[in-house]
Amino acid sequence: MTRLLEIRDNIKVLFSKYDVFVIPVLKFLLALIMLIMINGKLGYMSKLCNPGIVIIVSLACSFLPAGAILLFGSLFSMGHVFALSPEVAIVVAVVFLLIYLLYLRFTPSESLCIVITPMLFVFHVPYVIPVVMGLIGGPASALSVICGVIIYFTLHVVTQNAANVSGDLSDIMGQIKLIIDSLLGNKQMIVLIAAFAIVTIAVYVIRRLPIEHCWTIAMVSGAVLCMVITLIGGLVTNAGFSIIGIIFGCILAVGVGKVIEFFKFCVDYTRTERVQFEDDEYYYYVKAVPKMNVAAPDRKVKNINRSYAKRPVRPVKAGPAPMDTAPMDTAEMDTTELDSSYFGDTSNLDE
Amino acid sequence: MLDKDRVILMTRMASYEEGDGKKHMNVVRFFKGDYIAVGILKALICSSLSFALILALYVYYNFDVFMSSIYDMDILEFVKGILIKYAWFVGIYVMITYVVCTITYNSSRRKLKRYFKNLRVLKKMYDRQ
Repeated sequence: MTRLLEIRDNIKVLFSKYDVFVIPVLKFLLALIMLIMINGKLGYMSKLCNPGIVIIVSLACSFLPAGAILLFGSLFSMGHVFALSPEVAIVVAVVFLLIYLLYLRFTPSESLCIVITPMLFVFHVPYVIPVVMGLIGGPASALSVICGVIIYFTLHVVTQNAANVSGDLSDIMGQIKLIIDSLLGNKQMIVLIAAFAIVTIAVYVIRRLPIEHCWTIAMVSGAVLCMVITLIGGLVTNAGFSIIGIIFGCILAVGVGKVIEFFKFCVDYTRTERVQFEDDEYYYYVKAVPKMNVAAPDRKVKNINRSYAKRPVRPVKAGPAPMDTAPMDTAEMDTTELDSSYFGDTSNLDE
Repeated sequence: MLDKDRVILMTRMASYEEGDGKKHMNVVRFFKGDYIAVGILKALICSSLSFALILALYVYYNFDVFMSSIYDMDILEFVKGILIKYAWFVGIYVMITYVVCTITYNSSRRKLKRYFKNLRVLKKMYDRQ
């Protein structure tokens, strides 16, 4: 555990030392992965699939605010859908606009959650996000998770019905009806919206409770709750969830939650202190739980040898000149004549 | 000589100024009433725009139904129904905005108060030196 704590502290120190470089690199990677995913899943506009454009946009995202990642992601998505069917692109644009107008303008910092949620859907582990957002966010994060779920299913419905909406240009109304019906009648989406909203709020509430191991209890109960709601919802609505996927996703959610807990809330409950005191107006019952901290070893390599140039020169002994110039074996060196100051005071070593 | 406490305090304050401080300054430079009024005005515009988008999509979705029953339907009743829904939609959204703006303003003010208190502590540290 001590070793892990040391590694954690080292990571924190490194991150804070090089955050000027680390944050843009992380933003670049996130934008790059997102754009590659969008191009892979949608990919109807060949110009947007150009790697040069993807890299340039990702680079732009690396120094722009985090909200730019969502903006470029939505522009790329709309571009692809527009190439497929301009009428369907209107529906997608309305969804994005509604999310921005009604929610995102309050909390632009939550835009990363909206970006990451659809990405986790693509990786088949969306169950991680409500637990994580419950741990690191607030109750309003439930709305961000819901927005992410809606965006994923909107694009998913478009890809599922791509063959139907791209062919017949005469039936514009039919195309839009098909997309809206598929979206509103998507049972998986409805079940996941309900499950994720409840889980995010439940994890947040449990995490804030003044009980020991509240983070662990929160993440485990959140994962179990997510599993139960999704399984029951899937059975009732016949939404067709993968049971193994749900179980694996929830276990992974606990794993990711433990990692976050290790970095954000690592406390030692065995050293909990309870103190009680009073002032003129109140009695105070204080419970103090110390954080687990290890002083990172500050290793400094000190060179105790003098530089070669400053070494005392061995006095030349009178005697026969050496026969050859072969390197001398150090074991045969006569050190009796060496200056005693070279080793410092060695009198105590003799005892 | 370097005063460790002063350096720590200054670092924290500089970090706050660079991060949330700017946001909080932007909030608190208004009076509370003005800030909430501006928020509500923006909310009115955004919610009206959102309602218009939803309505447009609804009409677009049911276009053939509207076309077939345009002469039979009671336009006045239809418009009245839409206006009532609009009032509900905007009303609820404005209420939520009011609560969010109030919480944001109070929180920003509290944090800025703490910042100014730290400024006074810093000044005292300099005076003591």
